[in-house]
Amino acid sequence: MKLGMILFLISEAFLFGALFTVYYYLRAETAVWPPVGVHLDLPLAIVNTAILLTSSVVIWWAGTAIRNGNEKGLSVGLSLTIILGAAFLAITGYEWAHETFGASTSAYGSIFFTMTGFHALHVFGGILLMLSLLARNTKHKFSSSHYLAVEVGSLYWHYVDFVWIIVFATLFIIK
Amino acid sequence: MKGIFSLSVVKGFLAGLAGTGIGMGVMMLIRAIMGMPAWKTGPVVVAGILTGVIAYLAGLGVFHYWFRWAVGDEAKEVDAPPVKGWRRYFNVDTNHKVIGIQYLVTALVFLPFAVALQLLGRLDLSKLIPAISASAYESVISTHGLIMFFFVVIPAFTGLMNYLIPLLIGARDMAFPRLNAISFWLLLPAALLVTFSLAAGGFDTGWTVYPPLSAAFENVGMDMVLLGIYIGGLATILGSINILATIIKMRAPGMTYFRLPIFVWSALATTAMTLVFTQFIAMSFLMVLFERLFGMGFFNPQMGGQVLLYQYMFWFYSHPAVYVFVLLGLGIISDIIPVFTSKPLFGYKTVALASPGIAAGGMIVFGHHMFAAGMPAVLRIPFMATTLLVAVPTGVKVFAWVATMWMGKIRLSTPFLFVVSAIVIFLLGGLTGIPLGIVPIDLYLHDTYWVVGHFHAMIFGGFLLPTMAAIYYWFPKVTGKMLSEKWGKIQWALLTLGTFLLIIPMLGLGVDGMRRRVISYSPGLNMQLLHTLTAVGGFLVFTGLVVLAYNLVISFKRGEIAGDNPWGGRTLEWMVSSPPPENNFSVIPEVLDRPHMHGVSGSIHARFGNNDNNHDQREQGG
Repeated sequence: MKLGMILFLISEAFLFGALFTVYYYLRAETAVWPPVGVHLDLPLAIVNTAILLTSSVVIWWAGTAIRNGNEKGLSVGLSLTIILGAAFLAITGYEWAHETFGASTSAYGSIFFTMTGFHALHVFGGILLMLSLLARNTKHKFSSSHYLAVEVGSLYWHYVDFVWIIVFATLFIIK
Repeated sequence: MKGIFSLSVVKGFLAGLAGTGIGMGVMMLIRAIMGMPAWKTGPVVVAGILTGVIAYLAGLGVFHYWFRWAVGDEAKEVDAPPVKGWRRYFNVDTNHKVIGIQYLVTALVFLPFAVALQLLGRLDLSKLIPAISASAYESVISTHGLIMFFFVVIPAFTGLMNYLIPLLIGARDMAFPRLNAISFWLLLPAALLVTFSLAAGGFDTGWTVYPPLSAAFENVGMDMVLLGIYIGGLATILGSINILATIIKMRAPGMTYFRLPIFVWSALATTAMTLVFTQFIAMSFLMVLFERLFGMGFFNPQMGGQVLLYQYMFWFYSHPAVYVFVLLGLGIISDIIPVFTSKPLFGYKTVALASPGIAAGGMIVFGHHMFAAGMPAVLRIPFMATTLLVAVPTGVKVFAWVATMWMGKIRLSTPFLFVVSAIVIFLLGGLTGIPLGIVPIDLYLHDTYWVVGHFHAMIFGGFLLPTMAAIYYWFPKVTGKMLSEKWGKIQWALLTLGTFLLIIPMLGLGVDGMRRRVISYSPGLNMQLLHTLTAVGGFLVFTGLVVLAYNLVISFKRGEIAGDNPWGGRTLEWMVSSPPPENNFSVIPEVLDRPHMHGVSGSIHARFGNNDNNHDQREQGG
């Protein structure tokens, strides 16, 4: 099961790899990058990064909880992760609505929104996964000897977080 | 009549239709609310397709188990087949053998269709029919290409992998049977989308879908194709996860990597490639779709985009893709030759490692599709070098095959005949690739019929002929009956002759300068004869396929009973009955040595264990 998730994540690495390829290629071939008129909200992005990093710590803690048989701890951890994930998405949506450029303004805009969009989609998928883990935990499906799904889900969540760090660095720091 | 509605495929189809309608309606409603004209072909159709596909999957029932899992219930196992006989193949079934056949039949249905499409184009070029419109011609050849890649070659190989791999490695099924079923059923909407794009006006870009034409092309047929291939790519990636996990985790005891049949090595290399590279064609197609739907501008210079970016991304997938198309065929050849020559495979370890070797080499050659594209000139030389080098591991395999046949006790049964034709054509194709790899020559030959001849030789030699060999070799195992040797040999003759007649004139046309994807040519160039010969070759190939269909049907009904091991094969699938039991192996075999030690006295590949409660100690050897 874990191998299946790992293989899937390897494939997704290439999905994001394709997006990064587009970004860096366009950047290398364009004289002025980002184009004139692009102003990014770095402080908000930092807040978002912090939120996601925290959520990774939380899910790790939740995994430890269930390994020790603590079902309630798992529920708390999963719920917190979901809330943090939702917050991330909300802030992303806010940022999108307030950008000084659109997806159809320029190639920069296109790759910016596509990259953050695909990442947000993966966060959304992660939230759905966490919700189902929560549902199953409510029905007592997990115990100190039976938590493979939690491990697999956590792996996915850490991965999404890791990808965000690279997205953040690319869009907001390296530019 | 009522029985029809219990079949998954019908439920799925009806749900899909409903979903498409709902999706289109909702999109129109949203657009109206936002003050835009309700109907705009692109967004409305795409929204409809997306909801339609999801509704179709739900209607099929593939989400049932996972939905129950997600809300925390115990789900009823859907593995036990609720239906028997032919109805299983129209239902969602998780048994790898059923899924394998579903894939293979899909491929064999689309194959003659795609050939027929192209024959239409051939007839036009031979001036044997009144000229068809340029747009129709472009659509026909573009669709021919895409259908062949994604709905013939990939499903055929996926079907073979699905059917054979658990049997070859001693497992009872694939690692993720439910995922396996979804991967197959995703293929159908994808195939329908691409096929019906013809009815929606087609697309003019060639199978490579380059922007700016693909981004600007008005027809909704273009959107259908982009989405269809995207969905098909998703199906491929899911299938790759399954196959890799199965091979890595589910081998029988004693089945080390260096005791795997070469087919499995090829599958490893192939699915490793499809796992990672498919994302690049998916993203490049999706970006074109985004340009069309949302006005994005990745490839639009006026918006700061770059046209070449598409080509880099596209070929980064599409070159490894061609190795995907042939590696399994080469694996089939490697596994069949020892059986019909009673000799062990020459250089087994080297041949095994050549598969990942070809995959690795294939990663770094993609620039050779862009020598004439305006890529920075300095990049051409490294790509030329890598392109020429990737022929080495392939050459290793050809050498090993010949060395295996040398001084062997050759049996000229149909599978072996197809293998011989395959090797000859493949070699021819490989040799015609060398000029293409050399930059100055390629600048002349690029976009001519030389390229078309080259890759058809590779595909006939690396896919079609080996797949025919595979069908004749494994049909007895799948059905318990032998295919008619007489009709097999007739088919072999038709296909082999047709292939030569198809390819050699193309090479001639290419040298004469005939361009690809153009609908006509000046009469003064005297090309009509070569075009006509190619068309005749194509018709012979088509006739061969008809003979295959005939052979499949009559042999299934009245073929000679095959027994467990009609050919004397040494791999694990020949240790069970024909057809295999539902769970393949009641006792998992224990593997002792390599699979291809034919003619080596005292050698054994595997046996059914030392368990006290197993009285059926059959051995595979001698």
